Amino acid sequence: MTRKRRRLWILVACGLGLGSATALTLSAFSDSLVFFVSPSDLAKDAPNGRTVRLGGLVEQGTVVRSGGPGKPVATFRVTDGANSVKVTYAGILPDLFREGQGVVTLGTLQSDGTFRASEVLAKHDETYMPKEVAEALKKSGHWNPDAGPPPPASTWNTLAGAKQPGS
Amino acid sequence: MTHLPFIAASYALGVLVPVGFGIAAFLRMGRARRRLAAIDPRAQRGGLA
Amino acid sequence: MNARSVVGTPQAGRSLHRFANPGQFLRLSGAVLPWLTAGAVALTTLGLVWGLFFAPADWQQGDAVRIMYVHVPAAWLASAGYMALAICSVLSLVWRHPLADLAAVEIGPVGAGFTALCLATGSLWGKPMWGAWWVWDARLTSVLVLFFLYLGHVALVRAFDDPTRGYRAGAILALVGVVNLPIIKFSVDWWNTLHQPASITLTGAPTMALSMLWPLLIAAVGYMLTFAAIVVARTRAAVMERRVRGLLMARAASDGAEAPVVASSGEAAPERAAAERAAFQAAAQESAR
Repeated sequence: MTRKRRRLWILVACGLGLGSATALTLSAFSDSLVFFVSPSDLAKDAPNGRTVRLGGLVEQGTVVRSGGPGKPVATFRVTDGANSVKVTYAGILPDLFREGQGVVTLGTLQSDGTFRASEVLAKHDETYMPKEVAEALKKSGHWNPDAGPPPPASTWNTLAGAKQPGS
Repeated sequence: MTHLPFIAASYALGVLVPVGFGIAAFLRMGRARRRLAAIDPRAQRGGLA
Repeated sequence: MNARSVVGTPQAGRSLHRFANPGQFLRLSGAVLPWLTAGAVALTTLGLVWGLFFAPADWQQGDAVRIMYVHVPAAWLASAGYMALAICSVLSLVWRHPLADLAAVEIGPVGAGFTALCLATGSLWGKPMWGAWWVWDARLTSVLVLFFLYLGHVALVRAFDDPTRGYRAGAILALVGVVNLPIIKFSVDWWNTLHQPASITLTGAPTMALSMLWPLLIAAVGYMLTFAAIVVARTRAAVMERRVRGLLMARAASDGAEAPVVASSGEAAPERAAAERAAFQAAAQESAR
């Protein structure tokens, strides 16, 4: 029994050591573990010509599509609420791209303050909602997709697409 | 872009992986049971099979 | 020498080794396995058919949301399977539990398979939705590390001539890899990732419509039972294979002892030859049935 107990304690000690070492390493490299930076990060310290990923929401009413067929060009502003950056992108935007949607763009900040992207990825949020529920919420005025993320699921899940009670 | 091929491929994989592992496991179990029964007289008497 | 002594002596009493008796394991698992398999097939089929044909399309993703009903259960099983591997490793290292060794060996490939399924379906969802097959964000990278940990374990436990050393080395690798599990879980909260955060949490209400949550949970339970059934079946096979090896060795040893000392023809050990003869006979008997 004592041998087993000793092995158990050795294991616990090794686990604690490994765990704290990992925690320290992760917190030390935390900056390089982020996948994208926000417009505010970009405004704080501009990466001079370095290729970075810029992430945020596509600002309302800023999407301008131009360019001929086969060579689409889009400009839009990416915002995190506090700051926003103008992004230009030549290429096909992903299906989920729309105003108010989270996006992550890869590119470089130009000297004129615009961000030239070579890749645009749509970021999906954790909300999963049937079309009918989204329609019902929009119709009843509980949610405007252009204004922000959907209301918390607890407010509509119990209704599950049924009529909204008078509010 | 139509998403149908992506959905079909996902479900094909989602069925094939468990079914493949399952069939392989049951075949291996049957093979081991027959080998054991062939050399172990106890196995034929006992309730191992 | 009988088979029992080769495959581990059962001990009475209140120790964990009560459950280490292979005969008892075979009886118990043999009784459970049919039910486990039936439940696994029924729930997995129900969950996947519900998800593919009856669950509603997402207002943003459309029908591509259906990939979730495969991807999310596979992802949960990838982590849960590794947790099971780690528990077996503790039982193996601390209590020297013989069944835990066999179970760990058998969990490895299955876990690697489910992790690969998670990565592949995630990729198939990412291409139409994100616009990329793969990105190096913290969530995707940590799950890829999990896949490599599984592969490393699969290779390591089989790399030694002495299986016991393989079990020990594999158990240590599995326990070192446990630090990856919280990293996978919390990567979407700790760092900016392209991967979305969890929709289903223990603390808050799910951010998912109930009409999507039910098929997801059923598919997840179905996959869990499937994983368990596969591992139990593989472990049963491993126990029986070990008993076959033990019997062959015991037979070879007794044959060697009874045989007259004529084994002067080179280095061929009489035990080896006898074991091979016994195995051949067994195989011949089997194929004759």
